[in-house]
Amino acid sequence: MITRHFSKSGLIILAFGLAIAAAVSGICWVIYLHYPQYRLPYHDGFAANIADEWKAFGGTWSIVDGTMQNDSDERGAKLMAGSTHWEDYVLSGDVKLLGTDGDAGFIVRSSNEEKGVDSYSGYYAGLRTRDNRLVLGRAMYDWKEGQSVAIPGGMRAFQWYHLQIVAFGCTIVVSAAPTSTPGSFTAVSLSDKNCIRSGRIGLRSYSSGGAWKDVRVRVATEDDLRDALVRVPAHRDSSGLKSKTDLPYFGSGSRPSTTNLPLPAPASSVQAISSLSLAAPQTRVTVRGVVILTKPLYVQDSTGGVAVNGKSLAPVKIGEEVQVTGNVLPGYYSTHLQNSTVNALWSHTPVPPVSITSAQAASGAFDSMFIELEGSLRHKTPAPDNSLVLDLESDQQPFQAIVNLRRGDHLLQDVEQNSTVRLRGICVSDPQYTHQRFPFVLLMRSADDLEVLSGPPWWNTRHVVLLSAVSFILILVAHYMQNRVEHWRWRTILEERENLAHEIHDTLAQSFAGLGFQLEAIRDRVPADIPVVHEQLDLACDLVRRSHQEARRSIVALRRDSDTGMDLLTTLERCARKMVDRCGVVVSAIQSGNVRVLPAALSDALFRIGQEAIANSVRHAQPTRISIAINYNDSDVQLTVEDNGIGFEIGHESAGFGLQGIQRRTRVISGVAQITSSPGAGTRVTVTAPVPRSRRWFEWPFTLWQTYWRYRSYAQARKQMYSGPDRG
Amino acid sequence: MIVRSNKGSAVRQFCSTKLRLYWICLALSVPLTFMLSGLLAGCKARHAGVIAFIPRTTGMSLWEAAHAGAEAAAASAHLSTYWNAPTREDDINSQIALVNRVIDAGYSGLILSPDQPLALITPVRRGLAKGIPTVILGSPLAMPPGGKLSYILNDENEAGSLAAMRIGELLHGKGTIAIVGINFDIIGVVDRVRSFEAVLSRRFPGITIAEKRTGSFNIPYEQQATEELLMVHHNLDAIVAVTADATRGSYAALDELHRLHRVRLIGFDQDLIQPIETGDLDSVVIEDTYDMGYRAVELLSDQIHGKAVPALIKVSPRLVTKSNLASPEIQRILALDSEWNR
Repeated sequence: MITRHFSKSGLIILAFGLAIAAAVSGICWVIYLHYPQYRLPYHDGFAANIADEWKAFGGTWSIVDGTMQNDSDERGAKLMAGSTHWEDYVLSGDVKLLGTDGDAGFIVRSSNEEKGVDSYSGYYAGLRTRDNRLVLGRAMYDWKEGQSVAIPGGMRAFQWYHLQIVAFGCTIVVSAAPTSTPGSFTAVSLSDKNCIRSGRIGLRSYSSGGAWKDVRVRVATEDDLRDALVRVPAHRDSSGLKSKTDLPYFGSGSRPSTTNLPLPAPASSVQAISSLSLAAPQTRVTVRGVVILTKPLYVQDSTGGVAVNGKSLAPVKIGEEVQVTGNVLPGYYSTHLQNSTVNALWSHTPVPPVSITSAQAASGAFDSMFIELEGSLRHKTPAPDNSLVLDLESDQQPFQAIVNLRRGDHLLQDVEQNSTVRLRGICVSDPQYTHQRFPFVLLMRSADDLEVLSGPPWWNTRHVVLLSAVSFILILVAHYMQNRVEHWRWRTILEERENLAHEIHDTLAQSFAGLGFQLEAIRDRVPADIPVVHEQLDLACDLVRRSHQEARRSIVALRRDSDTGMDLLTTLERCARKMVDRCGVVVSAIQSGNVRVLPAALSDALFRIGQEAIANSVRHAQPTRISIAINYNDSDVQLTVEDNGIGFEIGHESAGFGLQGIQRRTRVISGVAQITSSPGAGTRVTVTAPVPRSRRWFEWPFTLWQTYWRYRSYAQARKQMYSGPDRG
Repeated sequence: MIVRSNKGSAVRQFCSTKLRLYWICLALSVPLTFMLSGLLAGCKARHAGVIAFIPRTTGMSLWEAAHAGAEAAAASAHLSTYWNAPTREDDINSQIALVNRVIDAGYSGLILSPDQPLALITPVRRGLAKGIPTVILGSPLAMPPGGKLSYILNDENEAGSLAAMRIGELLHGKGTIAIVGINFDIIGVVDRVRSFEAVLSRRFPGITIAEKRTGSFNIPYEQQATEELLMVHHNLDAIVAVTADATRGSYAALDELHRLHRVRLIGFDQDLIQPIETGDLDSVVIEDTYDMGYRAVELLSDQIHGKAVPALIKVSPRLVTKSNLASPEIQRILALDSEWNR
């Protein structure tokens, strides 16, 4: 009992301990993730073309020569990284504006980001070309410009500036200086009473696009703040700032009140791009359109698109309106402009993609145009120049999409085969890209141009294997639980028998003992001259003694708790010795073969059979010797109980329950009982029962399969039985 | 004795109960898990008490004023707002996606300034079908108001009339003008042009419209268009720019060609205001978007509380000139409370 309780308690304690350990580990992990210095210090030089942790909200972001670039002129394009639990830190990095109209900089303490101009909660510090100022303000899905200061000498696009932002407590300090002259810094600060205390870092540009490099974040100290504030000429508390004294700013890149953008003179003869295919080769022409891809350069107007080649093309951004002059190189579907010169006219005119089908794209009518179409991803193949080729299919029309990986490794590695995706890109029928294997190829601007509409069907190989594994584990768990339940059931039965033995011991046995004493006392007091009464009392005493013995045997039979943990032979031997106690009967026990632990049901049945056989022998055979033998074979076990008593003639035994019980129990365990006896030659009871082979875990599917076929055969047999030929 | 006898039975009962409980728990765990996750997802998705405000774009004074008005009204009505929009006024797809997302997220109400009058009908109808009260702000959709759909619009007839009267006053009833920036994606802009032309022809027949140009949401394009216009029409007396972008573009073109004082410029929608002080820009017809935003939230609050609301409200525009620029009323509309600790 103690052992059993210990093992049960031990299991519970073990399970409980594991659960607590798991919970504690989980809590520790969550605490670690929420730790303000999680993954700090942080550095991303974008040198390895890996930027897995950066998440884009608008813009076209890619890594070019160790810098992170946003080529689009989208207002408020963001790229975020870090932890929302970062609190006091110093962010430093270099930033370059890729346009003369707008701003670019860093976001600190940001959270809750979405695509949108000021759709985040955090602070932004940036360099603004429109009014040549370093700006610092707070965005909470709106923009409150806290401080700004003019940059001496003005802001220059395409020049690197080093920015350092110290966020400590509720004070934010920003300093900026051209990397060429690091000493000539400009600084600005603000104190925000209801400040945002923690958040991610981010790169952000407004209209101008931008490039960033060498982004570093480390934990800030009070000394950092003090050192940074020294650079600020007049730090003032911004908590009372109101915009009513000045014109309000809306959006970090909001236009100043006076704008005068010098525009290039319009060309005298601008041709529609679609007309280029009719132009004579090498004709010098001028077209005007919007940049839809920068590398390689593609320009599109309302009539079509064209590839632009040139030795030293001016830097342009996606979405810019440009004027291109070049020599026409017409093709069947694709037209190129060679030896081109490009003049940027104005920005902020992005072309929306045309949604078409793959059949339309394959017609060549949309060559060199920005399109959007859907397809099913078949393969992903790495290609030279750090690019990735996607093989897709839509409406039985195979095509390829090429994306320069840069920061797309992480974004695209999660896209599974056979996923339905929506892609945006430049539709190109140029054999340089198609290799005449596909009707068209899609040149994607960045990895963000791919959107997964739905994953692969659930019945793919991986899922089926996963499902099978889960089912298998569930079957094993169910089997284990079934065993446990069976174990509980047997234990309950044994406990009940134990209780019954106690009851018999405390009631019947004690009463018989008391009754015997009382009868003997009466007999002693009855005069000896009444022999009839004496005889009757002797008979009564004998009956009481026999009943007492029966009760004791029952107690022995029922009590098995003390035998728990013993093997079958020892249990039977102990039981026999109790039964023959002080009767002068010699009990011997022997076992042979591959002795092993039997299943509980079989062990219990054999014990009951052996017990019954011993009891019968003690009751009826008057033996002087009882031998018990158990032989363990590979596939069965054989129990033999033999005595040298008076025996009996087979077929003339009394109609008691003893032998019938043995037969019944033997049938339950699918065994065979053999009873050998003859008058004067003793009795031998032999029971042979098959031992179920314990299944290994990998045999369960086979067992289930066998069970299934057994049931199937049974069902077919029944069907044949009930739908025999007489019914047909 | 009885107690001990019952102990065995109790153990058996316990075991059978345990067994039953085990299977019941196992059977119930799967649907319960699904239900719980669904419930959690539902809880996360719901945004009760939050009104989504999706203007044509953000980061523009025209719409940030509406945001400020909505915030003020929401604070009074114990509501909160979600504010976001596409980064461009012509990004119709993004606005449709945003509206659909808001509808699926279960916001209490929707205020929308549509980027396009036709394309936004379907998502708005979808929201209405889900019982989300909706207010269309600024310029209407091509569908009638009613039920849970209300309109709070700028009074474009009055706006056009204000501009026409101002032109007539400036030119003393005689001269040549051009209209630039006519954007057919905004019904309100078309209405204000038609109103302007009607009033001008009726009240000032001596003023002729030399040219009307369509516009876009691109300032450099508008600048280019105006420069071309000025090169073609040398005798222009005034330009009426009917959008904020056209106003900026025209102003930049006049400045570039040094004709700011020879050609008078009347703009629309508050964005470029400061040149009015110097006289470089004659006047601007502004929308009281602060009031529109405020009223929109009030109206939604009433709808949420089951009160009857008007289907259409028209808010009067104002003409900002050098003489009234400093007036409290104009300053109320133009100057926003963007203090840090609001």
